[in-house]
Amino acid sequence: MRYFKLPDLGEGLPEAEILEWHVKEGDQVKVDQILLSVETAKAIIEVPSPQNGTIEHLFGAPGDTIHTGEPLLEFAGEKDQDSGTVVGELKQQTTAVNPAGEQFFIGASPSSREYRDRHISPAARALAQRLDIDVNTVPQRNGRVTAQEVEAAADRAQRLGPFEPLRGVRKQMARTLASAWEQVVAVTIHDDADIEHWPAGTDITLRLIDALAHACQHEPSLNVWFDGDRLAVRRHPQLDLGVAVDTEQGLFVPVLRNVGGRSAEDLRAGLDRLREDVRNRSIPPAEMLGATLTLSNFGMFGGRYATPTVVPPQVAILGAGKIMTEAVVFEGKIQPRRRLPLSLTFDHRAATGAEAAHFMQLVVTRLQD
Amino acid sequence: MRETVFKTEIGLTHYLSADGEPLGELPGWSHEPEPLTGYYRWMVLARQFDQKAVALQRTGQLGTYASSLGAEAIDVVTGHLMTPEDILVPYYRDHILQMIRGTPMCDLLLYWGGDERGNASPGMGRDLPNAVPIATQTLHAAGVAAALKYRHQPHATVCLCGDGATSKGDFAEALNLAGVWHLPLVMIVNNNQWAISVPRHLQCAAPTLAQKAIAAGVPAEQVDGNDPIALHEVVEYALQRARAGKGPTLIEALSYRLSDHTTADDASRYRGPDQLKEAWRKEPLRRLRQYLVNLGYWDESRERQCLDEAQQQVQRAVEEYLSTPPEPVESMFQYLYAEMPDQLRDQIEMARVRGGGDL
Repeated sequence: MRYFKLPDLGEGLPEAEILEWHVKEGDQVKVDQILLSVETAKAIIEVPSPQNGTIEHLFGAPGDTIHTGEPLLEFAGEKDQDSGTVVGELKQQTTAVNPAGEQFFIGASPSSREYRDRHISPAARALAQRLDIDVNTVPQRNGRVTAQEVEAAADRAQRLGPFEPLRGVRKQMARTLASAWEQVVAVTIHDDADIEHWPAGTDITLRLIDALAHACQHEPSLNVWFDGDRLAVRRHPQLDLGVAVDTEQGLFVPVLRNVGGRSAEDLRAGLDRLREDVRNRSIPPAEMLGATLTLSNFGMFGGRYATPTVVPPQVAILGAGKIMTEAVVFEGKIQPRRRLPLSLTFDHRAATGAEAAHFMQLVVTRLQD
Repeated sequence: MRETVFKTEIGLTHYLSADGEPLGELPGWSHEPEPLTGYYRWMVLARQFDQKAVALQRTGQLGTYASSLGAEAIDVVTGHLMTPEDILVPYYRDHILQMIRGTPMCDLLLYWGGDERGNASPGMGRDLPNAVPIATQTLHAAGVAAALKYRHQPHATVCLCGDGATSKGDFAEALNLAGVWHLPLVMIVNNNQWAISVPRHLQCAAPTLAQKAIAAGVPAEQVDGNDPIALHEVVEYALQRARAGKGPTLIEALSYRLSDHTTADDASRYRGPDQLKEAWRKEPLRRLRQYLVNLGYWDESRERQCLDEAQQQVQRAVEEYLSTPPEPVESMFQYLYAEMPDQLRDQIEMARVRGGGDL
């Protein structure tokens, strides 16, 4: 054997703590020679060597906890019987189990709490191992994974191929948003701005930016960073606006600096340059850091309302949906009017509902001016 | 007026001191080289097997294992005095006794490695397989003894248990039945002073465990469980009584568990080192070896040779055990029905397909 893995030293023990190594790397050991002392939940146990050999590597130092089934040490010059990790090497599915090999070990399966808490029948585990399916990725049915589910998963894998791992920007997006979703106490407010009076050709994005700058000036409580670990806020004197830009590669959010203090022309030029840089993938990472609030103008693609995700440390994001002409009551009469749907998500840990509602009201009023 | 209606006494038989010196006059047979040198060889083998079994468990190659360290004399002597027709009802420390009775060492390892085929060893003959639950085997033994009596077969049933088992109802029930039905049962209590972490003095307030049999009308006595000569005398007498239809006997063999309860236990957490050291001074191998050396039947070179042979024998069994292929998946369906029901036939097919046919 190449790797000597921690066996179950009691009856169903998930782990053991290394107390002391009695051998070191490079030592020659004989079968049954004491290798190390470990402490389990039940006992202090001296673990002997399963074979003659030379110690190539020790995994873990005194004080480290090793889980049952994890390697304790590696023997030098032994063939790796339990690899199966070489790329392109197919795992054999129907050969006889090598009786003297690694698989004959008793009680040497991984047994962390998480692993055990899933209801997976032993038959399902055995089958999954045989079919080279990660049993932890098999969907449960009625809270259980049985051999049937494993077979179905293997069948899907055969027909559709394996899952394709995310890369680059999409992978980053998945991580960032999942982490945001876990932390933020998100509340979303919806409203519409009546923009019937806007002249044709109005730059919608610039109007939204202007409205946000206005709202931040009069209701600065959303233009802050929130530190959820320390429960602390940092207020920002200016609005550095993250502008969501969708590309084929994924979502980018370059930052438009100090939007309150710049002219419309300057902003438009800056915005165009950022978008261009994003599309050319030439935008420096620094240009995508430090946003204090985010605008997502998704209306150009479709969809009216959303519950956009706030990415910490920011506490607010405004989503703008598709402009539609609607029948609304205006000055006592039903009229067709152009309306811009708005969705404001804020982190309720950092701001009150009243502050957010006030902010939304400021945006709507400014857009309707 | 008050008169005594019952009086009894419990005898303790011992012939050798802890250092192997005669305590008094010895039985004639014990001056001969056999069977005592034979006993000693088996005891050495028992200890080697035990040591290897623990090492196999510590390296993940055997399941939880109950060591027989310190109980070798009881098993070896009893095993040699039983005839093939007698029936053994063992408990979980009787590895060497099972071996003497004919179970191959490899089958014992298979059993303790979780392979049921070890329990189906043809070498077991009519003996019962190992009992892990405490004291349940005493009732089985009473039943077996009742069968022997019913069939008028002149054989003995030998049942072993630990001191902890004597606190269980099963034990009292078995003795009661053996007494009242006059069964050919030899009940041997290996009183090794510990029931896992419960010491003998917390187990029972009676000064001897043997006297529990008196209440059931069963003759009982104590014997030094580290003294092979005393064991030979006491067990042989009880076996002859049983075979001759003279009824049951309880033997309380006084020993000491020199090991942890099982490989899942750490006795140092509840047992002081001084007590253990004192127990090692009285252990059976050293005692018998000293006696044999004093008589000129044993020496350094015989000792080395005996140890070598025992280690080789154990090693061969371990290799055979480790190279035994796992059971085919179908085997879990066998032995249940004379004719396989359709439902199970379907399940076997499913297991074959899912198991790749070689699980």
